[in-house]
Order: sequence, then C-alpha cells, then structure tokens
Amino acid sequence: MPDNYWLQETDETAGTGNPEAAYILNCTVNGEELSLEIPPGRRLLSILRDDLELTGTKRSCEIGRCGACMVLLDGRPVNSCLTMAYQCEDAEITTIEGLSAAELHPVQRAFLEEGGFQCGYCTPGMVISVVGMLQSNPQPSQSDIEEAMSGNICRCTGYGGILRAVHKAIESGVSP
Amino acid sequence: METMGAIQDGPLFTPALRQPRSLREAWELKSGLGDRAVYVSGGTLLRTQWEAGTAAVPQVLIDLRKIAGMGDMIEAEGYLTAGSLVTLAACRSSSALASAGPAAAEAARQIAAPAVRNLATLGGNIASGYGDMLPALLVHDAEIAVYDGEFLSVQPVEAWLERRWSGSVPPGELVAGIRLPRRETGGARLAICRKVGRREAFTASLVTAALAADWDAGSRTLRGVRLAAGGGSGRPQRLAAAEALLEDAELTHGLLGAVYEAVESGFASYDDPFASEAYKQKTAGNLIAAELWRLLESE
Amino acid sequence: MLLNKESSGSRWRVRPDGQDKVSGRLQYLTDMSAEGMLTGRVLRAQQAHARILSIDTTAALAAPGVHAVITHKDVPGLNGFGIALPHQPVFCSDRVRYTGDAIAAIAAESDAEAEYALSLIRVEYETLPLLEDAEEAMKPEAVLLHEEGNVLHHTEYRRGEPEPAFRECAHVVEETYFTPRQMHTYMETEGGLFIPEDNGRLTVYSATQHGLMDRRQLSRILALPEEDIRVVSSPIGGSFGGKDELNVQPYGALLALRTRKPVRLHNSRYESVRAGLKRHPMKITMKTGCDREGNLVAHKVRIISDTGAYATLGAEVLNFATEHVVGPYRIPHVEVEGFAVYTNNGVSGEFRGFGGNQAIFALEGQVDRLAERLGLDPWELRRRNLRQYGDPGPLGQPIAQTHGAVQVWEALKASALLRAPETAEVPETAAEDNGKRAEEKRPPWIVTGTGAALAMHGAGLGYGIPDPAGGRLVLALDGKIEAVFGYEEFGQGLIATMEQMLVEQFGFAADDLRIIIGDTDVVPDSGSSTASRSTSMMWMALQRLRPEFTAELLEKAASSAGEPAGNLQLGPGGVWRREGGLLISYTELARGLKEPLVCQTVFHYPTTPQPRVGAHFLYTYSAIAVRVELNLLTGRVRITDQYHVVAAGPVANPQGYLGQIEGGSSMAVGFTLSEDAVMAGGAYVTKNMDTYLVPTIIDMNGRIQVEAIEDLPEHDTYGPRGIGEIGSVHLAPAVAAAIFQAVRKRVNKLPVEPELLQETLFTTQKAVNSYAG
Repeated sequence: MPDNYWLQETDETAGTGNPEAAYILNCTVNGEELSLEIPPGRRLLSILRDDLELTGTKRSCEIGRCGACMVLLDGRPVNSCLTMAYQCEDAEITTIEGLSAAELHPVQRAFLEEGGFQCGYCTPGMVISVVGMLQSNPQPSQSDIEEAMSGNICRCTGYGGILRAVHKAIESGVSP
Repeated sequence: METMGAIQDGPLFTPALRQPRSLREAWELKSGLGDRAVYVSGGTLLRTQWEAGTAAVPQVLIDLRKIAGMGDMIEAEGYLTAGSLVTLAACRSSSALASAGPAAAEAARQIAAPAVRNLATLGGNIASGYGDMLPALLVHDAEIAVYDGEFLSVQPVEAWLERRWSGSVPPGELVAGIRLPRRETGGARLAICRKVGRREAFTASLVTAALAADWDAGSRTLRGVRLAAGGGSGRPQRLAAAEALLEDAELTHGLLGAVYEAVESGFASYDDPFASEAYKQKTAGNLIAAELWRLLESE
Repeated sequence: MLLNKESSGSRWRVRPDGQDKVSGRLQYLTDMSAEGMLTGRVLRAQQAHARILSIDTTAALAAPGVHAVITHKDVPGLNGFGIALPHQPVFCSDRVRYTGDAIAAIAAESDAEAEYALSLIRVEYETLPLLEDAEEAMKPEAVLLHEEGNVLHHTEYRRGEPEPAFRECAHVVEETYFTPRQMHTYMETEGGLFIPEDNGRLTVYSATQHGLMDRRQLSRILALPEEDIRVVSSPIGGSFGGKDELNVQPYGALLALRTRKPVRLHNSRYESVRAGLKRHPMKITMKTGCDREGNLVAHKVRIISDTGAYATLGAEVLNFATEHVVGPYRIPHVEVEGFAVYTNNGVSGEFRGFGGNQAIFALEGQVDRLAERLGLDPWELRRRNLRQYGDPGPLGQPIAQTHGAVQVWEALKASALLRAPETAEVPETAAEDNGKRAEEKRPPWIVTGTGAALAMHGAGLGYGIPDPAGGRLVLALDGKIEAVFGYEEFGQGLIATMEQMLVEQFGFAADDLRIIIGDTDVVPDSGSSTASRSTSMMWMALQRLRPEFTAELLEKAASSAGEPAGNLQLGPGGVWRREGGLLISYTELARGLKEPLVCQTVFHYPTTPQPRVGAHFLYTYSAIAVRVELNLLTGRVRITDQYHVVAAGPVANPQGYLGQIEGGSSMAVGFTLSEDAVMAGGAYVTKNMDTYLVPTIIDMNGRIQVEAIEDLPEHDTYGPRGIGEIGSVHLAPAVAAAIFQAVRKRVNKLPVEPELLQETLFTTQKAVNSYAG
C-alpha cells in the first residue's frame, strides 16, 4: 500500500482527549436548532445516537460501506459515520425520526406496505436514501434507482421488496 | 503476522480543528504542525483509515473548506477548473465536466456510492495517489494545481503522479485543484472510463481503464490517443506503447489484438488477495480493446 | 402459484413490527441505554495461536474512567461456552487459538476510555505453530489444538458396496469442490445491555436465537441459578445463525455483575468479523458413477470441514452435510466420510443452510458432470434418479412422505427458463430502461447460459438432539389474546406469521392480539429459532391449542351471556353468534376472570425413528433455474433471472415466504459470486465491508420469481415446512451449470473466480469478429 502523504503517524505521547478540542456546533437536527459543545472531529453518527439519543440512525460498518447510518445533510444523503461534527456546521440534518413526526412519510408507507424490510436494521438508511433520491429526482429511471440505492446494503431481503417499495413510492407521487 | 491488537486497541483521540482561510495559511499550519496535522477535504478516506487503524488519528485536522474557491468549478480561458473541495457527487452530475472531461465524470459515477460521493472530494481522491479519478484525468490531459507554500503551480497529472509515487512531494504541498483543457476540435472525441471491481457496484476497483481520442470517421483514424489504467491502490499510468500503436493508425479489427497485447504487457499492476496482476492486465487490455471494437462496430 | 403481493390478495399483510421499523422507532437491543451505564470492551488475542505467558492489567485498571478489568480469574463458574460442547474459553488463561479469543474485558465510563484502557493491557505470548489448513491439522505430526485431537467430529455413512459398484459403472466422475468462509454479515453487530437488578438478578438484553439456551450457558459461567437470569433476545438486526452461539453475553454479564452497573457492549464491525462465526469452508471430494441409462449407482464422498478453533455446532453442521451430500437421489451404493477439523482460522459455526449449501453445490455438480458424460439433459438425469413418494430419507431413515421432490422437478421443467431460456428474457422493472437495454445489441463478449439445480433440505435439529416445542395462548385480564412463545424475531417475520395464523385460524383481529416472544422470564421452552423450524412449530402448537382454547373461550362466553356454546364462534374483537352479531368482546369476557385463561402445549419436533443422530424427518424441496450473463472481458457473472419452485406445504405468510426465498437467494448470490472471508496467517484479510463484499442492489437486479407448491398428502399432519434456508442452498450449483452451458468451463470452487472465466478476446492471431457470429 502506498503511503498517503498527509497521513503520518501522530505523536505517541498524546493522551485520550485533546483539551483544545472544544468546539460549538450549530446546526439543525430534524428542524430543531441545536448548539452543541463537542469535539469537532466527533462523528455525526455518535452525535445522533449517543448525544441526542436518536437511535433510528444505525451503526453497522462505520466506514461508509453499508448505509445503515445514512442521514440527510442539507437534503443530500450522507453516511453519518463518515461525517464529522465540523462538517455539519450550519447544516440541516434530517434523520429517520425527522421524516415522520405526525404520520409516516410516503416512502416509509411504501416500505411498510410492500414489505421492503425484514430485520429492519438497514431500513432507516434505505428510507433516507430513497427520500434523498426522490427529492432531487422524482421520476428516477431503474438505473437511477439502482445507483441511488447502491450504497445501502440489505442482508435480509435480497432487495426485491425494497425495489417494489421504491416503485410504489414513485407511483404514489411522493412530494418532497 | 500483523499485530492486530494495535488496530483496535490504540487510544482514540479527538483531534483539534483548524480552518484556514487561504492556501498559505493552510500550508503554514501544516508546516508548523508537521506530522501532527493532516489536511482534510471530504475526510471519507481518512475516516476509513482511522477506523481500520491503518492510519493514526492526527492531533489536528486542517479543514480546507473555508479556503475561497476550493469548492468551485469554473469554465474560463479554455479550461475547466475544479477546486479540490468539489465533491465527487458534483463531478458526477456536472454538465461542464461531462463536456470537458466525460471520462472523469464517468469515473466519478463509479466511485463508492452516492452518499459517500456527497462527502468525498476530487482533491481527496487525487491526493491518495491512486484514486479512480486519476486514470480519467490522465486521458484528459488534466493538470493538477499544487501549492507549495509560495506558488500555486500547475503540472500535468502524469508529472504529479511521478513526483507523488517517487516520494518527492513535500508533506505540506497541497493539491488545490485540477484543470482540464476544453477541446474545441470538430470531430467526435471519444472519452470513456471503465471500472471493474469484485461486485457490480460500491466496490474498490481492481482495474480502472480510461481512453480518450479524436475519431476521424472518414479515415477511420484515431488521433490524440490517450490510454490509462489504474486500480486498487496501484499507480495510475499512461499506456504509452498501446497509445503509439493507435496514434494516427487506421483502426481495424486486426489492430485490436496488438493493442490488447500492448496494454496487457504495458500495464504494471500487482497481485492482491483477490486478483492476480495477470487478471488485471488482461482486464485492462480487454476493456480498452472492447471500446475500440465498439467504435468499429458503431460505424 | 407465483407468489407475490397481487396473487396473495388479502393474505399479504402489513407486518405488526413494520411501523416501528420503517419509522426508525424500533429499539434494537444495541440501541438501549440505562442510567449510569458503562461501556464494555473485550481484548482479543493478538496472535492466532500462542501460549499466554502473562497478562498484566495493572495499567488498564488505573486508567481514567475504568471501573473493572476482568480476566479468566474473574469467571465464577465454568470458563467456557459452546452450545454443544462448552469448551471455548470465556477468557483464555494459558493459550489462544484464534484472533477472536478473549483475554480480558473492561468496563469504563466512555467508549474512548474503554478503548484506551484496552491498549494498556499487556499480554506476553509465546507463538505456537499455526494450523491454517484442515488437512494439515489432521496429520499425526500436527500440533494439537485440543487435547482430544484435532478432529472435532468424524461422520461415516455407508450402504451397499460402492467400490465394486464403481467398476460396473458406465461413467464415473470425480471432482473436488471448495466452498468459502462466508460471513453472516447481519447488519446489526453483536451487542446488548446488561443490567444487574437490585434483587440480585441479572437482565441480559442481547440477541440470540434461543434465549433459554443463552440463559443455561450464562448460568454455568456466572454460577448463578438460571432463574436469576432473564434473557431478552428480540428484536434482532439479523442473525442467519450467526447469533445462535454466545458472543458478547458472557462479558456483559460478568462486567455488570462485577461493577453492579449497567454495561453496554456493541461490537464494532471489525471486532464482529474477527470474533464472530462464519460458514464452514468445506473441501468435498466426490466420486459418482452411473450406468449407461443414467441410473446413479455409486457415490463416494469425503468431506473436510474447517471448523476453526472451537466446536460450537461444527459437529452438527458436519452431520447435516453428511446427510445432504446424498440428497434427493436414489443411489444404491453410498459411502460418505466427513471430518470437522480444528484449525486456527476463526470459528466456523451455524449459518443458514447449515452445511447443506456446501453439500448441495458438490452433489448437484456431480449430477451435471455425469449428464455431460451421458450426453443427457441434466434435468432428465435428475428425473431418472429422483426420490419418489415412499422412499426413505438420504440416510435410509423413515421421513415424512411428500411428493415434494417430483413436484418441484416437474414445476421447474415447465418453467419458461427451462422450456425456452432464450425467449425468457428478463423484463426490467422499469419500462424505459427495458427498451434501452433491448435495443443495445449484445456484444460478443457477453455470453449467456441457463442452469438448474434441485435440493431437499432438512428442518429441525434431527434425531437425538433435544428439540422441544410448545407455546401458550392466554386470555389476559385486560382482554388481550396473548400468544407466548420462546422464539426470537430477527427479521424473518415470525411475529407476523404468528399474527397471521391467529387471525386466519382462530378468527381474531390483529388488534386483539399481544404476541410475546424472546423473554425467558415469561416464555415457555419452544426450542430454538433455528433450523427452519419455528413456523412449523408455531403451526403445530396452534393446531394443538386451538380446540381447547376455542372451547374455553366459547364456554366462558356461553356462561356469561347465557347462550349455548354451540351457537357461538370466535371472531374479531370477541365471541360472535354463528348467525352473526358480536356477543361479547374479549375485554368484557376477561372482566369475568379471576385469573388469566391459559392453554399450554408441550411437544417435541417430529423426528425420524431411526437412531442416527442428526437425521431429519421433515424436509423442504426446491428446484431453481437461473440464467446468467457472463462477461468474457472480465470473467464476471451476473444473474439475470432466477426461478425458484418451493414445495413446503401451505404458505403461512406470503410476504414472509417470498422474503425468505428472495433474501436467501441473495445470500446465495454472495456465496456464489463475491463472498469469502479470506484469512492469512490466522488473521482476516477481509476485515470489514469494504473488502468483504455482500451483494448490492445492482448485483441483485435480475428477476426473481417464486412458485410455491402448497399441496401436501392428505394424511399429512405436519403443516407448513420451513422455508428459512431453502432459498439459499441451491443457487450456486445452478449458476455453475449455467456457466458451463455458456462457456463449457466447470466451476468447482466458490466464489466463482473471474480469472477462470476471463478470456483474451483480442489477439494478434484471431480477430474479434470471429466471436460476433
């Protein structure tokens, strides 16, 4: 493996935390304005799950290779395990909890009715990816759908139910 | 065997953040902090390496996003210029890039998955030294803008790769962006990028091959031929011998075998746990020859 | 009947756990937290095989935020676990045998503190020779991983006289098949919350496929009576067999009891890969012969199964493979020998298909190779040898008789894929793309092929293994109808299936019901949620409970309303008059009760009477046809079409059934094309999901159709058969057959290596247009 030139070993004498690291993150999560004093490099995943107790966002691979932790950052899907606190500055973050305050979002309803889930652990991330896709592209082609969903791994369904749910959501004319 | 304990068992720091407003400020921070700091654009590769324990978490993150212009894509003076902070998602959907560098836009489409591309950046992909954008940038005669603390200079991707892979890029040097010449040639310029991994999507590449050339349908001749390949964490490279075979030559089915062989024997790759170098070489040869075959068939 | 939402009509139901899943509100056990909770972490072995010279935890114990550091010295009971053989150390004391072995565990106030403290534990090792290969481990000179030897389990089965019979065969094929170390890759990694209760009890919120088994195992380790441990095991973010065995539970439990504080553990994916179970890689050598007419005559099999460092269910998996290498064919002369062998390669264990996947890949490969020798259609060759109604099971044992094998054979024969594969082109789901793809002429480097395979797959744990079943129906005091079963919901839709059975068989409304599973304090022993058994067992339990529970409810209603019970029936919301009209609601009915009305049943999974340990009695049958597209440029294979025929009795829950076959098939696609947990030097090369590649939506964009054959013989009393595994066991040989049809190359190793199939299309000798014809 080649070295990445900006990734050098750090000083081994450093401690567990960095006192300089205090940082105020201002952002909105599910419409709520937040001001959080947290380390700037803290993962959004940890902020959501551990600090804000929004456990609908799931932890799975932690390296952006499964999509279980997907959230919308200013309307676009991102892996919250890859996103650091400072990258959320002034951003609007929407988690699965933010999609359905009163009733289910049409995409969620489509997953429910078509059986687009089994264990359900990938489902919040899947739903987020579909919502993100339909916001930018309400009438996606099959290959648009495949591309948009290619970063969400489901181990249970084989994706059949998920694809049926996506088509159902498109047919029902999801308004973003 | 490797000591796997170190991967999970090292202390995790919370790095501090610096957000320079200029290239110079960024460079000064990095120069001052040395190994203790890293430049971060999208951070997707870095985060992965930190989690995997293949790179230690640094004490300081130098966030490049506040530097003006780093996130812009601009068409001017015969060039398309893209800053390092342009996301791969933007590369994938940019009509300007699709026009000036279609192989690069195609390469972006095939990297990771959309959500990762919303974070990951052009600069990060390039700075890794092996990103999938590089073969495409090679065939588009792209140049990389680097900042060395004093000057912002541009150099051809190939020259930059040579420096990068020979270890002669100073640690503080910053990839600021790229520029692609906007070709105004009349004929159709062929530009293609193909990637093969271990599954159909969302996979590291085993082979990424790119091709660009001007096609003169009348004389069935290719000019300005650029071929490149890379893959995995191997060095992206121009395939000079195969380019020479094609340049100004009449493209025939009979020529494809020679092109295939030139690519196969010219592409230096490596064995990994999942594919042999021979497989990657054959794949590169096949991918490039197949695109030329398509060109012949489309006539 | 093609199974889908349309054909299922009103039987296609919204899952009761669906609302919470799609909304993200469902709290998995790894989402739980508690006041004052600590984070638990486990130190895993830094070497795959070594003697431990010393363990020094002093510095870790002194580190900030650390509440406890425990090692083998802190295990009050048995320092070992394992469902079948409890010999895997909770904490290693003198030796490590794989890099997932645990040395110590830490409870600290934060993840970062736990992580840091972990790095301060010093372990000195003396490296021992590494056993990376099962056959090397079987050699007499090999270092012993366990005192009793390196062979965990040896199986033999023999009938007839294979050796002389081979001499009479017209055709004999010999081949060795290799299958990968597949990883379950459940999306939720192992973890949970462990709470020491004020009354001295311990509550364990952690995923498993058999809560009562976890309780038993934890009781041994903790030296705590079983009654003092409560295991809550659902909901689960996927398991596929992988969470059947204990994983983090001993550490969470010990740390919670030591610190008297709630402790949460949640494995990182890296740790999950490193410590967790995998599918047994097998090397299966087969010699199979037939006569001139294509009648199978003799079959000789040798199975070498890499069981890794510890037993878990390695012996049982080998028993299963031994049975399934014989399969649904009549073969007079059979000899099977199997070895499950210890190595330093992780731990292999229970995984959907349970040794069937490996066995069926090899067996079906043999049938295809013989067909080629005979110049016969492979499907026809199967017909000539297929088991018939009345035939004994693969090991000669009496089994529940059905026509399943013949039914699935015939239905697949009639499928479009086998009748006319070329015209059965895949229609894409989106019409616009469809047109585009059809227009594009297929380039010469894309070749296609069709292949098929057939399987019978046993369910239940088999002869000689305790396999209890049972459950309880209750009219609770609040008027809810409670169904209480000792099962787990890991996504398969067990709760939904239970609800559907109660609604359809009893007439209840979904709202009337409260389904209680996965809590050892309240559930009866219904056995494990494994081995494609729970749907069958729920169905049989309800069959037993229905007359009594119905009668009791009707009598209560009759006596409280003064109407003869004979005029009444159960219905949605309450007891109804047969001629119509709600007589009394369940809520009102419950008001008259002093204590809940309870009906309970206890029985055993049906087993074959023949005393061969592990032999099965109930089987599911399935046939599959696939169509593949092979790209010669890259050697990569795409599966464009799958047709599954499944004979498993009545469809209890159409959505669940379809989901199991589609999902099982996706797991099989991974097994066939991309998944292998590669090891080198006792360490995983594929450490996370960036290199361990399960199928994405694009790998699964071909068509999948599922035809369910529901007929059972009239006298059959066993009801729906399991379908949890059958979708995943026979795709690989079908793909291998399709590849052979496309390029005349035989695949004997999975996942299929693109390098084997890649061709150099462009050479200076041969122009490409010779392919174009």
